[in-house]
Amino acid sequence: MKPVLLARQISYGNANRPRLSNFDLKLEPGDRLGLLGINGAGKSTLMQLLAGILVPSRGEVEILGQRLDQAGATLRRHIGFLPQRLPVYPELTVAENLSWAGRLRGLTGKPLTEAIDTILAQVQLSEFSRRLAGRLSAGMAQRLGLAQAMLHQPDILILDEPTAGLDPLQTEQIRALLEQLAADTSMVLATHLLDDVQRLCNRVILLDAGCKKAEHEVTADTDLLMHFRQQTQHESAGAIS
Amino acid sequence: MIRDIALHEARRLRAGMMFWVLLAFGQLIVAWLGFAQLEAFAAIAPELKASGSLLGITDLVIMPTFNTLILVLLMGAPLLSMGSIAGEMHSGRISLWLSSPVSGSQIVLGKILGLWLASLPLIISATLTLAAFGLGIEIDWPRFALATVCLLLFSLWLGSVTLFVSGLFDHPAAALAASYGILLFLWLLDSLSGADAPWYWLALLPHIKPWLQGLLRSQDIVFFVATGAAAALLGVYSIARRRGEV
Repeated sequence: MKPVLLARQISYGNANRPRLSNFDLKLEPGDRLGLLGINGAGKSTLMQLLAGILVPSRGEVEILGQRLDQAGATLRRHIGFLPQRLPVYPELTVAENLSWAGRLRGLTGKPLTEAIDTILAQVQLSEFSRRLAGRLSAGMAQRLGLAQAMLHQPDILILDEPTAGLDPLQTEQIRALLEQLAADTSMVLATHLLDDVQRLCNRVILLDAGCKKAEHEVTADTDLLMHFRQQTQHESAGAIS
Repeated sequence: MIRDIALHEARRLRAGMMFWVLLAFGQLIVAWLGFAQLEAFAAIAPELKASGSLLGITDLVIMPTFNTLILVLLMGAPLLSMGSIAGEMHSGRISLWLSSPVSGSQIVLGKILGLWLASLPLIISATLTLAAFGLGIEIDWPRFALATVCLLLFSLWLGSVTLFVSGLFDHPAAALAASYGILLFLWLLDSLSGADAPWYWLALLPHIKPWLQGLLRSQDIVFFVATGAAAALLGVYSIARRRGEV
């Protein structure tokens, strides 16, 4: 089966201080990949490269077998991206924000209206559709961001720290939504939280200083904390020696 | 998609306070100056008629007010366009644009048209205010129409130039300061250099004054079309650079 997302030896940044180096990644249909790493490990850069926001300085990214940099902008229609900073217009309403996100991804007319109604119901924001986005709570705003990313039913969902800055209740709501809505979607999730990976992913990559350090299967028994500790201790020892 | 982006940009601007403040301020200035000049014209009209002067309301009221409107647009355009790309960068919303199936040229052209659409209410309301003088006094309508069309072209040019500057920065305030710097420089360039200087062709005023005198010159149209198109191309380039494509 063709991978939905394939990154071959991608690098980004200048040669002396690369933000990402020779990174390989393969995402099969239905795969849910977690990316763990400390601040500055290169998670957000990798997310932007996979979402087509940045173009790798070396290597290539393929979506459904086509090179992202060669196939043109239309290939990005298969991607849903939720960045760390929510891409919403505070001066527009929830429905207007969703309408714009849909139009940008090529939805118009009745399919757009239906998609908005469906996703609003799924993220439980139907009754807030006329509220200005700037007046939403952090959890509701994050749900709006998730709705924007999933409105056009993408084949690949790329989420950059979707639970960052949320309280435990809001975090739980987002995790439950992702479990429910993205069940059949291939997903790449960058996070600081081991619980996010344990709950939502079947595979995890540990990232440090722009390089892949380790890759593990995630099951209910996987001790992510041990893997993460081993990795960081290994790095610390390397730095001291 | 360009149409959708233009309508979205105009809608975004209309939803903000700045658009309404500029519209109210611009209309107030134009109406106040227009009526003040009309009053002054009414006072000297008998003397002008007695001396056989050819100067009329179009020369002494309408065109000076159009000149003021040009200045208002010059001051207002950077305030509207500062958020167009620099604001999207600053807020992080640029990721929504760049991860979508739209090209850099669609983004730039759509946003330029959106800025133009946002400046239309001021141009239309000010033009209608001045046209209303024609109900009581005879106006040189072909000259009035020429000035209006040129004003529309000028506003499109302003959108293109200020959008390009907005694309150079990650913060709207920096884009605003740079836009003012560039526009002020172009506005004063003719007084800073002689007509034989090579950069005199870039000065704004020598390309604007002929319209207001009722002259439509191909060199002025070429100036606005060429520099506006160059700014749009540089805007597309700056987006490609942000993506790391170039």
